[in-house]
Amino acid sequence: MRRFSKIAAVTLVGALALAGCGSSGGSSNSGVKSASNDVCKTAKGDGPKVGVAYDVGGRGDQSFNDSAYKGLTKAVKELKATCIEAKATTSDNDTTRAERLRTLAEGGFNPVIAIGYLYSPAAAKVAAEMPDTSFAVVDGFSTTLPKTPLKNLNDLSFQANEGSYLVGVAAALKTKVKHVGFVGGVPGPVIGPFEAGFRSGVASVDPSIKVDVQYLTQDDKDAQAAYENPPGGKDAASAMYEGGADIVFHAAGKSGLGVFQAAAAAGDGKWAIGVDSDQYLSAPKDQKPHILTSALKRVDTSVFDEVKTFQDKSLKPGFVSYNLKNDGVGYAKSGGFVDDISAKIDAAADKIKSGEIVVPSDPAKVK
Amino acid sequence: MSLARRILLALAAPVLAFVVAGAVASLVLLISGDDVGGFWSVMFSMPRHRNIVSILNTTAVLYLSGVAAAIGFRMNLFNIGVEGQYRLAAFAAGAFAGAAWLPGWLNTIAAIVVAMVVGALWAAVAGLLRVTRGVSEVISTIMLNAIAGSLVTYLLAKVALTTGNSRNTRPIPEGSRVGTVKLFSDSPTEVYGLSLVAIVVGVGFWVLLNRTRFGFDLRASGASESAAVASGVDVRKMVVAAMLLSGAVAGLVGLPSMFSDSYSYGSAFQTGLGFTGIAVALLGRNNPVGIAFGALIFAFLSEQATLLNILAGVSPDIVDVTQGVIVLAVVVAYEIVRRYRVRLEQAQVAGELAGQRRTPLLTEERN
Amino acid sequence: MTTSTTARTAEAIELTGIGKRFPGVVANHDVDITIHTGTIHALVGENGAGKSTLMKILYGVQRPDDGTIRVDGQDVSLSTPADAIARGIGMVFQHFMLADNLTVLENITLGAEKLHGIGDDARTEILAISRRYGFGLDPDELVESLGVGERQRVEILKVLYRGARIIILDEPTAVLVPQEVDALFANLRELKDQGHTLIFISHKLDEVLAVADDITVMRRGTTVASVKPGDVTARQLAELMVGSELPSPSTEESTVTDRVLLEVEGLELRDAAGRPELTDIGFEIHAGEILGIAGVEGNGQAELVETLIGMRQPVAGTVRLGERDISGWSTRERRAAGIGYIPEDRQRHGLLLDAPLWENRILGHQTRPPAVKAGGWLDVGGARTDSERIVGQYDVRTPGIDTTARALSGGNQQKFIVGREMSGDPILLMASHPTRGVDVGAQAQIWDHIKQARRQGLAVLLISADLDELIGLSDTIRVLLRGRLVGTFDPQHVTPSELGSAMTGADSGADSGSGDDA
Repeated sequence: MRRFSKIAAVTLVGALALAGCGSSGGSSNSGVKSASNDVCKTAKGDGPKVGVAYDVGGRGDQSFNDSAYKGLTKAVKELKATCIEAKATTSDNDTTRAERLRTLAEGGFNPVIAIGYLYSPAAAKVAAEMPDTSFAVVDGFSTTLPKTPLKNLNDLSFQANEGSYLVGVAAALKTKVKHVGFVGGVPGPVIGPFEAGFRSGVASVDPSIKVDVQYLTQDDKDAQAAYENPPGGKDAASAMYEGGADIVFHAAGKSGLGVFQAAAAAGDGKWAIGVDSDQYLSAPKDQKPHILTSALKRVDTSVFDEVKTFQDKSLKPGFVSYNLKNDGVGYAKSGGFVDDISAKIDAAADKIKSGEIVVPSDPAKVK
Repeated sequence: MSLARRILLALAAPVLAFVVAGAVASLVLLISGDDVGGFWSVMFSMPRHRNIVSILNTTAVLYLSGVAAAIGFRMNLFNIGVEGQYRLAAFAAGAFAGAAWLPGWLNTIAAIVVAMVVGALWAAVAGLLRVTRGVSEVISTIMLNAIAGSLVTYLLAKVALTTGNSRNTRPIPEGSRVGTVKLFSDSPTEVYGLSLVAIVVGVGFWVLLNRTRFGFDLRASGASESAAVASGVDVRKMVVAAMLLSGAVAGLVGLPSMFSDSYSYGSAFQTGLGFTGIAVALLGRNNPVGIAFGALIFAFLSEQATLLNILAGVSPDIVDVTQGVIVLAVVVAYEIVRRYRVRLEQAQVAGELAGQRRTPLLTEERN
Repeated sequence: MTTSTTARTAEAIELTGIGKRFPGVVANHDVDITIHTGTIHALVGENGAGKSTLMKILYGVQRPDDGTIRVDGQDVSLSTPADAIARGIGMVFQHFMLADNLTVLENITLGAEKLHGIGDDARTEILAISRRYGFGLDPDELVESLGVGERQRVEILKVLYRGARIIILDEPTAVLVPQEVDALFANLRELKDQGHTLIFISHKLDEVLAVADDITVMRRGTTVASVKPGDVTARQLAELMVGSELPSPSTEESTVTDRVLLEVEGLELRDAAGRPELTDIGFEIHAGEILGIAGVEGNGQAELVETLIGMRQPVAGTVRLGERDISGWSTRERRAAGIGYIPEDRQRHGLLLDAPLWENRILGHQTRPPAVKAGGWLDVGGARTDSERIVGQYDVRTPGIDTTARALSGGNQQKFIVGREMSGDPILLMASHPTRGVDVGAQAQIWDHIKQARRQGLAVLLISADLDELIGLSDTIRVLLRGRLVGTFDPQHVTPSELGSAMTGADSGADSGSGDDA
C-alpha cells in the first residue's frame, strides 16, 4: 500500500506541477474574475450575440487574449453587442475545440470568434455543420481547409512581421552599443515572423548590429514555458543585458513581463520593446521608462471589425489580412521615447505599404 | 468474504471519493461565487449523442494511457514518461504514415508498429538507465518528457508542412486512414476506429497480468521485490521488459484521432494525456477493469468541462480541481477501506482458528 | 535478595479479569496475574496465546474491554504509553528502536529531553544508571558500533532513564548468543536486587526457569497456570503451554547416503565496497543429510543462503548440484532444478502478503506444474488445488485459499511456505530459521515434515539460531564465523555451550580441535 501512496505522491506532484503552471498562467485569476468582472455578464444590448472562444491562457495574458477581450468590450459598448466567453484548457483537442464552438453556436451566439490558430480545423468542421452561424478564427487558416469555400468562415490574419520590422528599425536607431536582443516564446510559424521582421528591421538600418535571439522553449506544445513564463523571460533578457545588449524585443506573451522586469532591473539606458498591445500603458510605473515601444498586433480591432461587419451585413467570408496598410499592425508611441525617430520609422512603414520593402516572415530567410 | 460484501467493499472507496470530491467542488464554487446549481445540473445532465461519442473517444485514449502507466505501476515502476513516449510515438507514426512508403492498410499497420516501437524504445531508455546506472525512472522519465517535447518540435520542423500558423506532418494518404463508427445518425462526431484498440489492449492486459508467468512476475515484483527476487524473478530484466511494454502501449495513445480525424501530427495534437493517464491508473487501482471506469469518469468530466464553461459560466478549472480531489480522495479512501478489509480478514482468520481449537479444548478440560 | 523481602509484600501489578476482543476474535479473556514488586516474572505461552496483547494493554497501547489494572495497589486506566511511563512502566521491544547514526546519549534522550536535557546533566544521569546496574555503556558511542547485547542494554537504559520501575521485556533473548544471555540475566538480577520489577516474555523455557521468580503460563488468550520455577521442569512447562504431549527435535537413525547432492567449493562473496562477506566456503551435503549451520546472526548465514539460491553473485567458487555445475545459474534455474527455499524472513522473501494463498503457491514455482503450464501460462486451477492440498496436509489454519497471506498468523504463514517448498519433490532444501516465531505445535509439525523428506533422500541445509533445533535435526553441524566455516561438530556429542563458544570465536580450541574446515 505504501506503493500506492508513493504513486499518488508522484502523481500529485506531477499534477500540481501541471496545474500550477496552468493556473499561474492567469487562468485561475481570470477564471475567478470572469465571474464578477466581466463585460459579458452585464451586457444587455440588442446587438449581435457574440461568442468568443479564447486560446489557452485565456484572459489575463496581457497579450493576445486580453487584446481580443478589449475588442469585445468595444463591441459591447459601441455596437450594443451581448456576449459569452469560453475558455480553453491545456488538454484540448480538435474535438473539444469543435464542441466548444458548436455549443456556442447552438446557444444562439453569432458570430462565433475563436482566438488562436489552433481553432482552425475545429472552425472549418463546425462552420460546415452550421451554415447559419458566422465563424472567425484570429490568426487562423481555417478557410484553407474545406474543399469548397464556406460562406460563414473568416480568418483574421496579421502581418506580425511588418510591425516587428518597424520596432526593429526603432531598436537599431536607438541602440548605443550596436547590440540588441529578441526573446521569443517558441520557434515556429507563430513567433518566427516576429523574429524575422525584427531582425530585418534592425539590419535595414545597420547590418552590423548584433541581434541576440533566445527562445524560451523548443517544445511547441509547452505553452506554459513559452508564453506564461515571466521568470524565464526575465532570465533570458537579463542575460542579454548583461551580455551588452541595450534593447530587447519580446514576442512571448505573458513571459514578456519578465523581460520588462529585467529591463527595469538593468537600469538606465536599457530598453525593452513590447508586443501585441501598447504595453507601455499596462506596465507598472517603474517599468514605464524602459518600454521603448511596442509592436502592435490589433487583435482588438479585428474582433471589433468582425462584429461590426457582421452587424452591417457586410461580412465577407475568407481571409481578412491585418497589416500596416489597414492599421492592423504597427508600432506604439506612448511614452514619447521614439518621437525623435518616428519620421524614420514612418518612412520605413511607407516603404512596406508601397511594397518597396517585402518583410520576410521566416527567420531563416533573413539574409 | 461473501461476494456481495466484497463488491460492497470494492465500491466503497470510489463512492466515498466521489462524494468528497463533489463536496469540495461545491465548496470551491461557493467560495468563488459561481453557480453551484448550474454546475450540478450540467454535470448530471444526460450527455447528448455527440458528447457521448466524444466521451467514448476520450475514454479510449485515456484508457490506453492509463494502462501504459499501470503496467509500470504494477511493478512499482513509476513511468511518468507516458507523456513523452506517446508524443514521440505519434509523431513518428504520423511522419511515417504521411510519407506513404507503403500502400493502404499496410501503411497503417506499419505506422502502428512504428508508434509502438518508438514508444517502447523511448521508455526503455529510462529502464536501461535504471538497471545499469541506478537512475530513478521517475527522474529520467520526466527528463525524457522534456527531451521528447523539444525533439519532436525539432524533427517536426524538418519534415513538416506549414499551413497558416500550424505545422503538421504530411497528411496520411486516404487509403491508410482508419474509418469511424457512426453510433448515432444525428451526431457530427464519430467513434474513431482505433479507439477499439483500447478494448484489445484491455483484454490483453488482463490476460497478461492474471494468466501468464510474465504477469505474475510483474505483479510479484511490484508487491514485494524481495520476494520476487527470491522466487527467481530477474528484476532487472523485468524493469526493462515492463518499460518496453508500457512504452509500447503509450505509443498507441495518440493514434485514434490521428488516423481518423486529424490525419497528421501537428500543432493541434493533444498533449497532457500521459499525465491524465497516471491519475486514471490510480483511480482504477492499476486494474484493467478499474482503469476503464477511471478513464470513463475522467472523459465524462472533461467533456462536461467544455459545456460547463458555456452553459453554467463555470471555469473549466473547477473540473481540474474536481479531478484532482477525486484522485486524492480515492487514495485516502482506498487506504481506509484496505485497512478495514485487512482487519476484517484477520478477525475472520482468528475466528476460524478459535473455532478449530474449541473442540480439543473442551475434551481437555474434561480430563 | 534479602533487600527485597519487604517489598515483596506489595504487588507491583495486579491484573484482574482482563478481557480484550477484536472484531470476531477474543484476544484475551479472564486474565488474572499478580506480579510482586522486586521480582522477575516470566510470561510464557505459544505464539498467539495472547501475551503480546496483554503486554500492549499493560503498556497502554490498547485498552482492555473488561477487567481492572492495579499498579502499586491503585486502580489505573492506561490509555497511552505516556500514561504507562508516568506510572513507572516501561517496555523493551524485541526489535530495537534505536537510531544507528546517533550516539547512545542521543538515543536515550530522544523524546525525553525534558527530563535532564540533552547535555551534561543527561550524560551524568546515563553514566550513573549504567554504573549502578553494571551496563558499561559509553554515552558518546555511536549505536551503529555497538553489538546486539549492548544495544539491548541501551534499550533498557532508555526505559530506566524515563523512570521505569516495572520493565516489560519482550523476548529479550531471541537475538542473543548464550554468553550474551548470561550477561543479560546478570543485569536483570541486578535490577531486581535494586527493587525493580521485571516482566519477562519468552519462548525459551530453560531461560525462564533459570531467571524467573514466578512464571505465568498463557494459553488461548487466558492465564492457565502460575508456577514457581522450582516446582516444574521445562517439559512440564511446555506441556502447560501447548496443552498436550510435547514433541522434540531428536533425530532418529541416520539416513545419510553417500550420494553428494550439493557440493560447494571455494565460495567467496564480497559486498558492494569489496569487503569479504564469505571467504573460502566449502562443504558437501549428501542425499538424506541435514547440514546445520550455526552462527551468531550476521556472520554470513543469510549471505550464504542467498548466494546458493542465486540471489547474490559470488566472486569465486563453484556450486554443484548433483552432477551439474550450477555456479552460473540464475535463481529461477536453480529453483526449477529442485532447490526448495525457506527464507529467513518469510514476509520479505517468502510471501506476497497482499495476495491470496493460492497465488502465493505460484511464487518460487513459476516454471513448474501444477501452478504453471508449459509456455508460461498460469494454471489457476492447478495452483488452487495444490494450495488446498498444502492447507490440508500442513495444517495451515485459514478460512480458505482466497485469504491473503497477511491475514494468517506467522506460524501458519510458515507452514504454508514449508508446504510449498516441499512440493514438487525438491532434491535440496535450504531452510533458514524454519521455525522462528512459530508456536510449539507448528514447530513440531515443521520438524516432522523436514525429517520425513530427509528420509526420502532430501538434502537439507539448515540454518537456525535455535541451537536445540540445530542439534536435534542436523546430521552435521558447521559453524560460520565472520564469513568463514570455522568448525565441524557432531550433534550427538556437542552441547549448546560448546557451539556457543565456537560461534563467538571465544574458544579457538573447538575450531582447531575439530578443525577440518576445508
